[in-house]
Amino acid sequence: MDEAKKTRLHPWHRAHGAQMALFAGYEMPLWYAAGAKAEHLTVLQGAGLFDTSHMATVAVRGADAFALLQYCFSRDLSAAVGPSRKPLAPGQCLYGVFLTAAGHLLDDALLYMLGVDDYLLCVNAGMGAIVARHLEAEGAGRAVAITDLSDRLVKLDLQGPAAAKILWPLLAAPEKVFDHFPYFTCKGHFDPASPLATVLLADRSPLLLSRTGYTGEFGFEIFGQPEAMAGLWAELLAQAGRYPLLPCGLAARDSLRVGAMLPLAHQDLGAWPFCNNPWLLALPHRRERPGFSKEFLGGHALLRLGACEYTYPFAGFDLRKVEAAGGEVLTVGGEVIGEVLTCVSEMSLTRNGQQAVILAAPAPAGENRPAGLCCGFLKSRQPLRVGEVVLLRDQRRQLRVEIVAELRPHRTARRPLREMLAG
Amino acid sequence: MKELDGLELPATVRYAESHEWARQEGELVTIGINDYAQDRLGDIVYVELPAVGVRLGVGEEFGTVESVKAVSELYMPLAGEVVAVNSGLQEDPAAVNNQPYGQGWLIRVKPDAAEPLAALLGRDDYLANLKG
Repeated sequence: MDEAKKTRLHPWHRAHGAQMALFAGYEMPLWYAAGAKAEHLTVLQGAGLFDTSHMATVAVRGADAFALLQYCFSRDLSAAVGPSRKPLAPGQCLYGVFLTAAGHLLDDALLYMLGVDDYLLCVNAGMGAIVARHLEAEGAGRAVAITDLSDRLVKLDLQGPAAAKILWPLLAAPEKVFDHFPYFTCKGHFDPASPLATVLLADRSPLLLSRTGYTGEFGFEIFGQPEAMAGLWAELLAQAGRYPLLPCGLAARDSLRVGAMLPLAHQDLGAWPFCNNPWLLALPHRRERPGFSKEFLGGHALLRLGACEYTYPFAGFDLRKVEAAGGEVLTVGGEVIGEVLTCVSEMSLTRNGQQAVILAAPAPAGENRPAGLCCGFLKSRQPLRVGEVVLLRDQRRQLRVEIVAELRPHRTARRPLREMLAG
Repeated sequence: MKELDGLELPATVRYAESHEWARQEGELVTIGINDYAQDRLGDIVYVELPAVGVRLGVGEEFGTVESVKAVSELYMPLAGEVVAVNSGLQEDPAAVNNQPYGQGWLIRVKPDAAEPLAALLGRDDYLANLKG
């Protein structure tokens, strides 16, 4: 894989025996020596550290940045934050999507408002140039500068209940950083010249730190300059004696994300209308009456949709999977009604007996029940009810699964920071 | 991910190109998957094995081994009748990773042929094959 792109941490991954694989043009770790199951469980019990530098970042700055993002990004920046739908303010983040004119997915993204007229987008690996070009085209003639920062920064995801305790000793002023840091907010800047660069490592290297993350658990995304971040990677892992902590690869990243009922872009969201799925919070729906609160690219198509397929989360009855690619969804009567989008073994889940509805945290100590549950997302031509059983079929096997409303319970993402720092 | 030269490839078994191993034990042959296969698959979480008494030919699929990430078929390195399967793997599928040549064995077969391992590779030829 000589032509594959490599992140700054690639030599570390190779030196530590990672199983490598090609992903979006990057040679990335699938798992390390402990294995994907241990990595998945360790994130939930302590923390895991992920190199997510292959994800792309795009800066959007200028007097027309707000207007351009209002048109291209699915969230209503003027009415997006909290139950009272306040406007997005500096230091806040939003999850949303970029749609095509037909209402299909271009990419999903996290939007960071760093300051007035100063935004950052974190998009998927390999998508930096595509999203940047898209914004440049839509922003032609407007007072906005789009900068593709792909491959210029290192991004780490530190995820799990111990994340804040692990990061604390490595910051220059942790009491200040961790004083009031709500979910989906950000602090600092990765550019040392920026007046926003207020979050520093002990060696004064600047970080952009956000209380977000790919896995849906408590933790942080950390953006910084490559050399400083390579040092931070090693220093974070050196904390492993004090807390359960492992470097984690793409396999655990995906199984944790799916178990959190979050979509894998270009797999669970794709070249079909963004509708009838579990992530409609990304759309600017009005509260009092149907329709959207703003005009945006793809909005018209979504309002004029006729039939629309239905995307549902499912959970199986044991950990066996089907292959998503080519996997079909059938009614119990044998009629093909859709396709499998994603199917993983979520190793922290099991069932309480054969009862369909209850999913439990890892089996109680002393019980030798094999843990792990197949779960994922499927797309169906017809609506299905929570609790309804369907069949998933690939070339090898046919599995019974049921539609669920929730997967991994007790996710820690939104827990108050002071609770995660205590003890 | 083990480097090829770091793989455990004992000389006491013979190897199929599809990464199964076979070991003659009296009149029976024990079959499993080798260190390369278990390393590349990652954490094995489920194993599907044939019923005792089934007769299978060379190259026929005899089961699957499932890791956290993927499902992989198992292929008969020789023809014969399945006389035993490792039912301990139901409780401890990780034995396939931890002791692929020992407690992680998969099936035991009464072979059809007189010299059932003759067509398989010795460890040096198998390793050379892997290196390509």
